[in-house]
Amino acid sequence: MDIDRNIEGKGVPGLSPQATNGKRSPATENGRTRVAKSGTRRRRTTAQSMAAQQRNISVSEFFAKNRHLLGFDNPRKALLTTVKEAVDNSLDACEEAGIVPEIWVRIECAKGNRYSVAIQDNGPGIVKRQVPLIFGKLLYGSKFHRLRMSRGQQGIGISAAGMYGKLTTGKPVKITTKISVRKPAHYYEVEIDTKHNVPEIHNGRGEGVDIPPGEKGRAYMQRHGIEWVSHYAAAEGQTPKELRSGTRVTIELEGKFLRGRGSVDEYLQQTAIANPHVTLHYVDPEGQERTYERSTTELPVEPKEIKPHPYGVELGHLVTMLKDSKAVTLSQFMTSAFSRVSAAVARRICEAANLSTRASTRKIGRDEADALYQAIQQTRISNPATDCISPIGEDLLLKGLHHVVPGEFYAAATRPPAVYRGNPFQIEVALAYGGGNSVEKLTYEVLIELLGHSDARTLRQFLVNTFDGIGSDSADRIIKSSGFGSRQSPARMGPADIKSLLDAMQNVTLSEKQSMQIMRYANRVPLQFQAAGCAITQGVINTNWRSYGLSQSRGGMPAGPVTVMVHMASVWVPFTSESKEAVAAYPEIEKELRLALQAVGRKLGMYLRRRKRVKQEGERRSIFLRYLGEVATAVTEINGGDRQGLYEQLLKVAKRKTAEADTNLDSRGRAIVESDEDYGRNVLVVEQRPEDLLVGLAKTDDEQKQLF
Amino acid sequence: MAKKTARRKVSKTEEKNGKLSAKDRKTLKSIGGLAEGVNKAAFRGRDPHLEIPSRSLSNVRYNKTKRFIEMGRGKNRRELFNLSQAKSYMQTVLVGNGCRQLINAGKTTSIRGLYYLLKHTIEGTREETFDEQKDCDPIIEDVEVMLSALREELHLYAKNAGAMVGPITLVDSGDEIDCSRMGSGGYSIPSIAEPEVVQFKRHTAKFVLHVEKDTVWRRFNEDKFWQEHDCILTHGGGQPPRGVRRLLHRLHHELKLPVYCLLDNDPWGYYIYSVIKQGSINLAYESKRMAIPAARYMGMRSKDYERCGLSSSVTIGLNDNDVKRAKQIAGYPWFANKKAWQKEIDLMLQNGFKLEVEALINKGISYVTQEYVPARLDDRDFLD
Ligand SMILES: Nc1ncnc2c1ncn2[C@@H]1O[C@H](COP(=O)(O)OP(=O)(O)O)[C@@H](O)[C@H]1O
Ligand SMILES: [Mg+2]
Repeated sequence: MDIDRNIEGKGVPGLSPQATNGKRSPATENGRTRVAKSGTRRRRTTAQSMAAQQRNISVSEFFAKNRHLLGFDNPRKALLTTVKEAVDNSLDACEEAGIVPEIWVRIECAKGNRYSVAIQDNGPGIVKRQVPLIFGKLLYGSKFHRLRMSRGQQGIGISAAGMYGKLTTGKPVKITTKISVRKPAHYYEVEIDTKHNVPEIHNGRGEGVDIPPGEKGRAYMQRHGIEWVSHYAAAEGQTPKELRSGTRVTIELEGKFLRGRGSVDEYLQQTAIANPHVTLHYVDPEGQERTYERSTTELPVEPKEIKPHPYGVELGHLVTMLKDSKAVTLSQFMTSAFSRVSAAVARRICEAANLSTRASTRKIGRDEADALYQAIQQTRISNPATDCISPIGEDLLLKGLHHVVPGEFYAAATRPPAVYRGNPFQIEVALAYGGGNSVEKLTYEVLIELLGHSDARTLRQFLVNTFDGIGSDSADRIIKSSGFGSRQSPARMGPADIKSLLDAMQNVTLSEKQSMQIMRYANRVPLQFQAAGCAITQGVINTNWRSYGLSQSRGGMPAGPVTVMVHMASVWVPFTSESKEAVAAYPEIEKELRLALQAVGRKLGMYLRRRKRVKQEGERRSIFLRYLGEVATAVTEINGGDRQGLYEQLLKVAKRKTAEADTNLDSRGRAIVESDEDYGRNVLVVEQRPEDLLVGLAKTDDEQKQLF
Repeated sequence: MAKKTARRKVSKTEEKNGKLSAKDRKTLKSIGGLAEGVNKAAFRGRDPHLEIPSRSLSNVRYNKTKRFIEMGRGKNRRELFNLSQAKSYMQTVLVGNGCRQLINAGKTTSIRGLYYLLKHTIEGTREETFDEQKDCDPIIEDVEVMLSALREELHLYAKNAGAMVGPITLVDSGDEIDCSRMGSGGYSIPSIAEPEVVQFKRHTAKFVLHVEKDTVWRRFNEDKFWQEHDCILTHGGGQPPRGVRRLLHRLHHELKLPVYCLLDNDPWGYYIYSVIKQGSINLAYESKRMAIPAARYMGMRSKDYERCGLSSSVTIGLNDNDVKRAKQIAGYPWFANKKAWQKEIDLMLQNGFKLEVEALINKGISYVTQEYVPARLDDRDFLD
């Protein structure tokens, strides 16, 4: 029995968008191609026989076999996957219901390596009778059944997380859900009957319990220890607003909480960036609370379901579709089964294939199908409708990134939709440059402040958590070179200690390049693993960042305080493997990635060049300025002239001289005029204080601003 | 701020006292010209710049008829609006203004004094006008050549170095000084030895013996060599400073006394002789007041090791740098076609060692005063 194949079959009814592209043939694709080739009738019988068999297999056995595919291969990932499934569901539910999402995530260390994970949303809630099925029956979902851009494509479902919880801790999933202010909320404790894949309800004598709205309900929840965020946080002096609806899921599982790469922290942060419409409250097992505020209340455009596009259909699949079709004529078939095929387009295809538009679909044999297939490739067919994709958009990319990643320059580019194998997709790239607690800009005072705010137990932890670009390696080297013990506490450091720490930080990290951070997304969901094998990472590496002012070794990651986020939005994201963490490299996708990366790269290059020039200008001017006063004083003391008059005159000349010298010349010696419009749209420059760029000038700043 | 008003006060008080010498008025005029240049350029919207005669090796040449080093016509442009020159431009104007203050006040100061007078933090910055005295010294020389004013005309002096003793009476700043009654220390040669400061009254000397160092000079003074031989005995503490060179120049030209030099037999000694005789590259513009083309080199000679039968323990080996310097000196235009000098330098290189005048003590404490120098004088055995 092959449940996995069943899922995929459901996910792409009558369509195999990923069928072998020649270059790669990952397991999924083969699997699906087989399904497609086997034909509908056979598949239906398969489905039926499967339904019969399902009763016999143990779900826990299935789970144990497939845990690596499902994201539960190790305790660390299990914790992440659980959070992910629940948060993805919350976001999907809110967006579908048109609610601006607010999500509360709380992870608590229960005992030993057990964690209790609670996720609540302000979504539409779930109707009473659905609750047990959603949380207590494996593979009971809605998103695999449609060809539409959604987060759900990646997960196996929240019930799998519940299942994992039950297998590792024996605890049921707790669900509280509410669909309106006035109606009662429902509270369930559900677990899966692992033998029969059916829900088992523990509370309310197998019926769950209803909690009345208002005060009474609140008292009940308190009595029974049912957790529920009933109100939004409000600004001081304002009455908090009550949540009208929502769902809270609590799962206890065996896990491991770690920070850094592939962590829950990273997932939530990246999710906040790619979903600037969400407000996310996060309490981690150490009790640290973090809130990512939304930067927009605009919801993403709702994606639509689409029919397959002719370009995305393999020959074998075409044959299957023809056999399956209820259409009588070839023309009818073409126009009904595919998107973007009008009667006129169908006629052109048929002509090219030397077939009649009125030919009966039943009579199309292998050879005719082949001709039809070739004809499709030769015929110009407009791209599939792209309103089935909902890109984040350049504006919100900038907002999201700026909100979460500190920096001085941001650029974003959303490519127009393109198509690989008939699947519409869209690539978006956003980039943040600079910022962070850069060690280079660090001063003694700032370091004291940071140390004061830190609750890190060791110096090492402080360094790694506080500064971008300091990993554990450099942290160790800093600690070593400053002569502290490995368990030095950041709390107990005197001024001399702090000074030597600062010295060490500046000496150690300056020689070491910080490499670019890449955040990968598929349909707004962060991809946290298998970076090396991902087309997105390859796209970044293959881009020549040197021409955009960053340093980069051949075939390596560019260096610099840069964060790049890349979003692939598609009705069907082609993953390289079942674990769905890396995007496959289709030529069309590679091309779009390249173009999008180049678009932001060019803007970064422009910014860096301009920044360098402004800095040089500032230095030049400041050098002239600082001596003009002395010259004017000396000269007028000698000749008894008017100091102020001469000074102003000299300033005028200085201004003219520097302006001349500032004009950049292109390779042919013509002056290049760069204006601010050059960046184009979708660039965000966070003002740097001019003082930062001018050396050693404190008092004459005002003069400078006036005059230049 | 306080500094500025103080400076202003100096200038105001002086304008009233009209006791300026003609020379002072001339110098003030050239400083005024410097300021006017800046002013004019600025008000015409031009980039102010200064033309400073170049003091580099490429801008000096050996004048064969005058037989000393002269400065060429090469000039360097110093611009205010040039990143690498802005600061030295400012410093040049500051030095000009500093000298104006000194002249107006009728005071002189050392170059170190001027450095302190002009040193302050530039307003609105943490930068000093001059960080160290060595930033200021070359600017002073720039101003000297630019205004073609002598250092003393700018009311500046270097610290005294060098001493004199002998049968000569002179007047220094109005005080009559008998140089035959100067005890063991001698008359300290002032850094400004111009006729305004030092006038020669009477003398019975027949020549001047200039020795390199104070230590050697003491031997000659103690042995009363100058009494016995009727000569003026000077030293310049190594490379003779301007005052010593100027005084030697005047003794030679005004009193028509030949000048004989007793220096170490090493590249440094040769170089000192070259400076006394032909002038220095750095002060080429002062050669006509300082160079003594007719000066003669008495010793030490390369052949003295053999001639005087010196022990090998008193020789000092030549190092790489000495060899390099010796070859350079041999190539100087004024040595290049003097066979005797070429032989002299060759022999030193062959010897592979140098000889200091003090080494002669190995032959007897007063060997140098009683045998060595008298023998050279008798034989008239000098290098030109
Ligand atoms: N927080 C929630 N709020 C509302 N509906 C939810 C929520 N979580 C899950 N659902 C519903 O339950 C269904 C099943 O969820 P799940 O098992 O995660 O599968 P999938 O997300 O792939 O559809 C979802 O499709 C959705 O309709
Ligand atoms: Mg889901």
